[in-house]
Formats: sequence, C-alpha cells, structure tokens
Amino acid sequence: MRIICLIKFIPDVENFIYDYEKNVLVRENVRMVLNPDDASAVAYALKIKDKNPETYIEVVTMAPQGVMLQLEDLLRLNVDKATLISDKLYIGSDSYITSMILGKYLSGINFDCILTGTHALDGDTSHVPAQIAEILHIAQMSNIVKIEEQSFGCDSAVIEVDAEKVFVKYKVVLPAILSLQKESKYKLPFIKYKDIDLYVRNRIEIIDNEVLGYEQHEVGIRGSLTQVFSTFAKKMDKKDKLVVKNDEEGINTVFSFLKSKGYV
Amino acid sequence: MKKSLIYLEPNNYQNSVDLLEVARQMYADDAYETYAVSFASCCREAEGLFDYLIEVLDQQIQNFDIINTTNVLEELQQVYQFDSILIPATHIGRMLAPRMAMRLHVGLVADVTAIKHTNGVLEMVRPAFSGKIMAGIVNRGRIPVMMSIRQNVFTYQLGESKNSLRIEYHPKPAEKSKIELLSISEKEKTNDIRDSEVLVSGGGGTMRYFRRLKLLADEMNSQVSASRRIVDSGIASRSIQVGQSGKTVAPRLYIALGIYGSLQHIEGLKNVESIISVNTNKHAPICSLSDIVVEGDAEEFIEKLVDKIKREKRICHENDG
Repeated sequence: MRIICLIKFIPDVENFIYDYEKNVLVRENVRMVLNPDDASAVAYALKIKDKNPETYIEVVTMAPQGVMLQLEDLLRLNVDKATLISDKLYIGSDSYITSMILGKYLSGINFDCILTGTHALDGDTSHVPAQIAEILHIAQMSNIVKIEEQSFGCDSAVIEVDAEKVFVKYKVVLPAILSLQKESKYKLPFIKYKDIDLYVRNRIEIIDNEVLGYEQHEVGIRGSLTQVFSTFAKKMDKKDKLVVKNDEEGINTVFSFLKSKGYV
Repeated sequence: MKKSLIYLEPNNYQNSVDLLEVARQMYADDAYETYAVSFASCCREAEGLFDYLIEVLDQQIQNFDIINTTNVLEELQQVYQFDSILIPATHIGRMLAPRMAMRLHVGLVADVTAIKHTNGVLEMVRPAFSGKIMAGIVNRGRIPVMMSIRQNVFTYQLGESKNSLRIEYHPKPAEKSKIELLSISEKEKTNDIRDSEVLVSGGGGTMRYFRRLKLLADEMNSQVSASRRIVDSGIASRSIQVGQSGKTVAPRLYIALGIYGSLQHIEGLKNVESIISVNTNKHAPICSLSDIVVEGDAEEFIEKLVDKIKREKRICHENDG
C-alpha cells in the first residue's frame, strides 16, 4: 500500500516573525516545526508500516529548503521518501494556489491514500486538503480521531470523526484524503539510536518550478486569489460592559444574551 | 441587484440564518437579494427571512457527501450567478467551502469573524496564529466572493418579515457517494474543565452555596469550575481550579459567580469569548472584562436564571408539540 503524508512545517508559533510592511510571514530563518495534526498523520502511517512492512510512505510538503533537517528526521523514522516542493516563486501563495501546486504534483503519482492533518496552527484555514481532493476528484474528511487499522486497505477505510457534538463513523472509498486531528493520539516515535546519523539525503527529492512549470504571474502573491490587506494585533477588547441588576429585567438581558450566542 | 447564497447547515440552522447579517454588512446600502439553499426540507428558521428558499429535491444527497453537494451548488451558481456564497464554518461547512471555491476557481476566506469596508474595499477579517493576530483579507476580483464564517459570531436582528419564495430544485442525478455513514455516537462527557464550552465558575462569594452552581451548569450543559479560594477551603477539588496555580481554560463563555478576579485568576483565562460576572461589587476587577455584569447576589441569580431557562424550554417544547 502506498501512503502519501501531506505535511506542513509551521513557524514555531511562540516566536514567529510577521512582516507587517509586506503582510507576509517571514518563513526564512524561523525555526520550523512539524504541525501537530500532520505529525499524527505521519505517526499513523508509520504504525501501519510497522505491521505491514511492504507499506510505502512518502511525505510531501511545500516549504522553504530550510526544512531539510526536519525531513531527514522523518526519513530516519522509517519514512521511505520525502518530496520537498520548493521555489522562490511560490512564496506568498494563498491556499488556492498552494493546493493547485501540490495538486499538480500529486496528480502525477500513484497512491492508495493521502493522510494529512485537519488544522494547521499558523493559518488554520483547513482549505488545502479539501481543495486538493477537489483537484483529484476524491473524497476528503476532516477531524478524524481514529482510522480502524484492520479496515485500512487499498479500497476503503473506516474512520471515526469528531463532528462537534457527536462522533460519527464513516466508511470512505479510497483513494481519499483523510485529515487527522492530534486528538487521535497517534504520536511520532523517537528515532532509534542506531539511526540517529543515518544518511538519508538521497531519499529527499526537491521539486521546483523547473519541474512544475508555472508562469510567474500564476503563483505566489501575484497569482493568489486572496490577499492579506491588513493585519492587527488582537486587543484584549475593552468591552462595553452592560451592568444590570438581579431583577427580572437583568435576568432577561442575560437570557437573551445566552440565547443569541446559542448557549441555551 | 446583488445576490447572496447562504448554505443552511442542518447541524446549525440558527447560525446559518444568522449569516444574513454578513450579507447585510457586505452590501450595506446596495440592493441585494438573499437565497438560502437546503438539502433537507427547508427549515422553519429561514422562513420569512430570505427572499428565496431553494430546496434541493434529492433524498440521496446527504450533507457529508461533499462531492455531491458541491455538484449541486455549482449547478445553482450557473443558474443564478450569485455574487457571494456564505457557508457556516461548521465541521461540514469547512470541508464544503474550500471544495466549492476550487470548483469555481475563486478565492476563499476561512473563519471570518468581521466585515470591514476600507476605501470601498471589502475586507474579510479572520484570526490567524491561534487568534494572536487578526488579518483583513481581500478578494481579488473574481465572483462570487466566498467565505466560511465562524459560528455564533454574527447575529441577525429580525427585520420586517419577507414573503420567502420557495424554489424546488431538481439537480442532475447524484454520483455514487464515496462516503457511507455507519453510526453516530454521543460524546461521553469528560470532566475536564478545559474541554467545556461553558464554565460556571464560583469564587469566594459562593462559599456557602457552591454546590448550587451545578444547577445552572446542568441546565446549560456545562461544567462547574472554581477559584483558588474555594479550592483552598476544601469545598472543591484542585482539578476544577481555574488560574495560575490551577488550570488554564478557554471556554467560549465564562460565568463568574462571586469571583473577584485577581491577576492570578485572570491568568487562567485564555481566548474567552464572553464573560458574564455576578458580583455584589460591580467594581471587582473581573467586571471590567465582562460583557454583562449582574450586580447582586449570585445565589439568587442562579435560582432566577435556572428558573427562566426552564420556563423558556417548556414554552419551546409546547410550541413544538
């Protein structure tokens, strides 16, 4: 079985740099970490490979070349191949363009399933998995907390989804894009001591625009269909507080407030 | 005349209807028409509020079958040429919106929490980096404008009642669904206060009647938490303590009963959307962070609010029956 893990490295959220002039994230020279939900996807793939050694795992990411070291560490965990889609032209691409670029690469390769995360801690639009699924015309499901291992074959998978108020179990036809949540508790193992310095660079393939062949105006900030116009820090809002008494009018005010927000 | 389509999500009808407020803010003084699309039989909540109610008549298509719902929305877009498509950012909506945007080759803004107009440009505001910064996003020219909208942020104030026109829409035959529903199970209630959407929290002022907080918490399907004073007096266990020496919580709503709001307590509140505080001292620090301050006794407040909620539920029930 061939599994693709679509992953994203995010700036260490605690100390990221944002270029307020150009309104883009400065991703170079910032420590990048694997997005937690995506780590669960890789962890699940590794778990499957542990049971079925013939499983082939390829991680695919679009990122600056600075993430090579992180990719190497994934390869040392028994991932077979890492594909790094990277080109200066792609910087500043919105979710639509990012999906288009990744979709172009993915439509040219074979796989049985794409595993990925639901939320990314930086942008958190959750657009890319659904949009790539549209490009590939396959099903996609988010907020997965469990994939039943015995069901996970080449034709279909049984998954459990956190659908806000309830858990829902679905059977999904494969190939599909399955987006996990870190709440699935699939955790990456540690690198085995003997593999700590394993040479893996030869298993990283870099795909740049030479390969994908987009025109300059089609990608990056210029190609994007949405654009960040302004950014501002979220202030701890000084609220226009409403002071009421503990009487009928006060209770009615509180009740209407609760009702308008959907709490009662 | 602008046309706006709003997707009615069966899991949250009320909130879907509230997206009318987004359309109102987008078009302000321009003339516009609103369309609701629903895959189930049209919900009562939308009646009289939209200009058109489109009912998609195909029992086979279920809301989690995003490929087929996208197919139908695409057909509708071809027929009606909407200027905007608004989708509630529910679990389902967040899968539907991006697929639809890709299908129509238009941009999409996720989890919109506010609409701004800057020099004639429509800015869609959304949180990024776990809410650390807010970003105003603009659409570059293509129509329809698409966004998914954070749940329970917008509220539509009822205007005059409209004569909603029903449109029965027969879509092209659906594709075979790639997803099959096997079962639905209720979530087990966890006892972790960090998982609760709403917290009913008690401070020193509730010492005598802390156990009564549960009455309100139960009525609101939420959990009870406490300040350090309550925990230190042995009335509640450390596991439900909010604050620096307790837990950091991020409920959407925090009801602070008899809580003073020391710095150490406030430290334990992160990204709380709304705070209601009940305090005999309306100048307690917690009150300046609150949306509503009820000046008075918390025990009396619990009794009155529980009463009110029960009464309203009964009325609702009778109307349904």
